[in-house]
Amino acid sequence: MTTRAEFLERIRQQVRMSPGRFQASSARRPPHPAAEAETIRRELAERWPETLEAFRREFEGVAGVFHRTASIDMVPAVVARIARERGARELVAWHAAALGADLTSALGAQGLDVHQMPAAEPSAAAERDRLRAVAARAGLGLTGVDLAIAETGTLVLVSGAGRPRSTSLLPPCHIAVFDRTALIESLRQVGVFLEAWHGDGRPPAAGAAINFITGPSRTADIELTLTRGVHGPKEVHAIFVEQPIRG
Amino acid sequence: MSDAELATPFRHRAGGAMKDAFLQEALTIATTKFIGLRREAFAGFPEGEALRDQARAIKEATLQHLDQHLESLIGNVERLGGHVHFAATPAEARTIIVDIARRTGARMAVKSKSMATEEIHLNEALEAAGVTPVETDLGEYIIQLAHERPSHIIAPAIHKTKGQVAELFTRALKRPAEPDPEALTQIARAELREKFLQADLGITGANFAVADTGTVVLVTNEGNGRMVTSLPRVHVAVMGVEKVVPSFTDLMVFLAILAKSATGQKLSVYTSLVQGPRRGGELEGPEEFHLVLLDGGRIAQIAGPLREALSCLRCGACLNVCPVYRQIGGHAYGYTYPGPIGILLTAMLEGAPAVRDLAHASSLCGACADACPVRIDIPRMLIELRREVDEKKIAPWTERVAFTLLAKLLQSPRLYRFAAKAGRVLQRPFASDGRIRRLPLFFGEWTRTRDLPPVAPRTFQERWASDKDLRA
Repeated sequence: MTTRAEFLERIRQQVRMSPGRFQASSARRPPHPAAEAETIRRELAERWPETLEAFRREFEGVAGVFHRTASIDMVPAVVARIARERGARELVAWHAAALGADLTSALGAQGLDVHQMPAAEPSAAAERDRLRAVAARAGLGLTGVDLAIAETGTLVLVSGAGRPRSTSLLPPCHIAVFDRTALIESLRQVGVFLEAWHGDGRPPAAGAAINFITGPSRTADIELTLTRGVHGPKEVHAIFVEQPIRG
Repeated sequence: MSDAELATPFRHRAGGAMKDAFLQEALTIATTKFIGLRREAFAGFPEGEALRDQARAIKEATLQHLDQHLESLIGNVERLGGHVHFAATPAEARTIIVDIARRTGARMAVKSKSMATEEIHLNEALEAAGVTPVETDLGEYIIQLAHERPSHIIAPAIHKTKGQVAELFTRALKRPAEPDPEALTQIARAELREKFLQADLGITGANFAVADTGTVVLVTNEGNGRMVTSLPRVHVAVMGVEKVVPSFTDLMVFLAILAKSATGQKLSVYTSLVQGPRRGGELEGPEEFHLVLLDGGRIAQIAGPLREALSCLRCGACLNVCPVYRQIGGHAYGYTYPGPIGILLTAMLEGAPAVRDLAHASSLCGACADACPVRIDIPRMLIELRREVDEKKIAPWTERVAFTLLAKLLQSPRLYRFAAKAGRVLQRPFASDGRIRRLPLFFGEWTRTRDLPPVAPRTFQERWASDKDLRA
């Protein structure tokens, strides 16, 4: 077997032998990403309605379903309507701390069977298995959103405590709740936020996975016929809340 | 493709493909659709051209310091609790992965679509070790059930009709299936959902790896990449060393052009950034994360003639526009990577002799270089490969003798004039209606698929010397 030292030495030799094809440099990284991310947020705070409109257009373009409510208190009614239309009753949700609000009792009052994901890692393997089985059979998954990208209609979700990866993946219908603080304009800006989360800023959560979600799961592998809901959700709903969720 | 199939000359494989009426139709529909989708995506994206240049510059800059970026990637993956392995050859890569499967007691492995694992023929090795590999990308799942190999980098089963898929599902899954893409997809969803929840091992490739944060990036549309990296207790990612990019800022440049080039989407549905095993507080994610760095012939090209091909993003755009691929499809190429870039990658991974014939499977029209998101000059390298195949005496002797003689002829005006005169006499038995349709002996290879224009009754030089009107 080739050792690490041998492997890397071969690469070093080759790199030394090649002058390169042309003068080139990688992309210029923001020197202070956290500060730049803050500037982006501040500037967008003033023109969020345009950004939201662009997001809605792109999100609907990738077959997302867009909703808008005045406040977080009105979200359970929207969720309940979506559930009724699909004949679904069981819902898995990110923990209240991750959503920014505790909707469990309000959703329950709407007749939904709500499973709130735990704020901390369960210590017993059996509990972990049980929660996975719940997510696998639930008809609806309710999550927050860390970034909503207007350029592409994309939702960015960072995994972590109380925010399992499966909530937006296993149920056939994913419902994501967000407000203006998540809105950004472009993929370039995503780069600034990613740099900030890994550099001088704080990430929204400490998990090992960051997922970009651009509409429902799809494939065109059989005769290039577009089909939705292969492995991931068949439907993705985004509920925009006008009043910032965390007050 | 099996060795037996490879024993068939490329010309026969290509000829067979061209006689397959269904394949011809499927190829035309698929490639034409992909071309249109790509064109639309870039038409609405004026900054695309500059981003393509920038993406290329990032690839080149990364190669110039590949050792440092890889060391940074390795350091960061290990800092996050992941393990890094080094495979010089496909055999070493297989051994590493089979060992991980054995040590962790894995019985079933779910795989998301990965050309790197196709390249190392991983599935056969897993099966031999008693681990059941399950392809979970719908197209890969279909061809796995059919015991075939992918025919397109991003649409592996485009050579199959929905009727064929329905028959396949009915037979292999023992459940009745209607020839309807929606219904077939739902069957696959149900079958594979069980596997995702049961599998012990998740195996993926990597579209990118971000050096300075130890992040493996997977781009999928179906969500299988997310399943495979979230549910099994062990995740193994296999990547060629050239897939590393320095930073997240660089990554976003590639993400902005990759899906547009491949399927015409602004972004694929899922882009997953995976950073080592699951962390404290997380309900899901693997307990173990392994990154297998693969050489397989890539490293020797950092300073080699195929260096530019190390920038390839595997988007498949060059296949769709290639007049040869559009006629013969992916299987006729005979190796893991088809199409124009596939010829270069085959030369890189298998050595120049493997592409003795394939190096000529191009009209050098340049459509591939135009379509390539990172502007790889594929025709230039194909020409160089042809020269190498010739110089190393890999080409058939008849071809080498013919071209050596032609070169001599073209270098000497006297010989050339003599040959023109001799040709006029010698061609008489073969020329009719101003065309030579058939030549004797091995020259017949030339006229097998095309006519040869005969030598003109008077050469241009003769006319120039005697014909005053021409000069006026």
